[in-house]
Amino acid sequence: MKKPIERMMVYDDGSEGSILAARLAIVLAAEFDAELHALSVLNTRALSELVQAHIFIESEQEEYRRELAEDGARYLNHAVEMGKRKGVTVIKQNASGSISAAIKEKVAELHIDLLVMGPPPRIRSRRDALYDEVEMAMRTVDCSVLIARDEERIEELYEQLI
Amino acid sequence: MALIELLEEKIVKIPLVSFDKEGIIRELVDVLSQAGKVDDPDALFQAVMSREKLGSTGLEDGFAVPHGKTSGVKDLAIAIGIAPQGVNFESADGEPSKLFFLIAAPPDKAGPHIEALAEIAKLSRSKALCTALIQAKTPGEVVSLLRGD
Repeated sequence: MKKPIERMMVYDDGSEGSILAARLAIVLAAEFDAELHALSVLNTRALSELVQAHIFIESEQEEYRRELAEDGARYLNHAVEMGKRKGVTVIKQNASGSISAAIKEKVAELHIDLLVMGPPPRIRSRRDALYDEVEMAMRTVDCSVLIARDEERIEELYEQLI
Repeated sequence: MALIELLEEKIVKIPLVSFDKEGIIRELVDVLSQAGKVDDPDALFQAVMSREKLGSTGLEDGFAVPHGKTSGVKDLAIAIGIAPQGVNFESADGEPSKLFFLIAAPPDKAGPHIEALAEIAKLSRSKALCTALIQAKTPGEVVSLLRGD
């Protein structure tokens, strides 16, 4: 019999929401004995758009690419450490391109059956909804999606894990 | 971070009254300073001017996006200004710049900085929106237009 959740992935952009999502994913991975991946996406699409729009010069693009890669590595190490504290292995995954497309591709490549994400930014306008990459991933990805909310409860569940 | 989350009337100035690049950037830095968004306005001014020396951030159709990284701000901040008189910002099409988005980012927030700039790049592609923004008379109108109300 198949387990309800076999492979999970959490999208990690270093935000408070994604840290909360990582904690919830660790709790669920422990509970369901599921494989857990953490994904960081180097948003090269945004960088290219900024060069095309002449907002960035080439040297600036390189500088930001390096900084984004360093930030991504730091975020993933943090997720791995959070897992280690609770005896859960978190497998690091890196991708680049547009955030929504990269999430969708990794879900397919790794046969993920549950994607865990932090809450998308509060949508306050139609324009906002069109531009939000995390929201787009949530709407288009080919697996179940769980949005982490209720910080107090998630923290409690995470702390309860031995 | 969504650009919309940074928008509020107190970070919009209409009109900007300067007639040169340095004056415009100084005015926008002052807007952020008065809004309590920047700890070290001089450091921000220097960061933005240093970036301008590498190449102008004046785009086409009267739009300019001066930006800089500095520890003089704790969080990503944005100031918006409109200079109806038009200012020589050494823009890509040689036309005077009228609509300015100044972005200030702390050195450790590359991700949100990129996202905010990318959103502005997308906005800049809408000539209708840029024209409407340039014609806006009040900060409230600018915020409303950007929120898509």
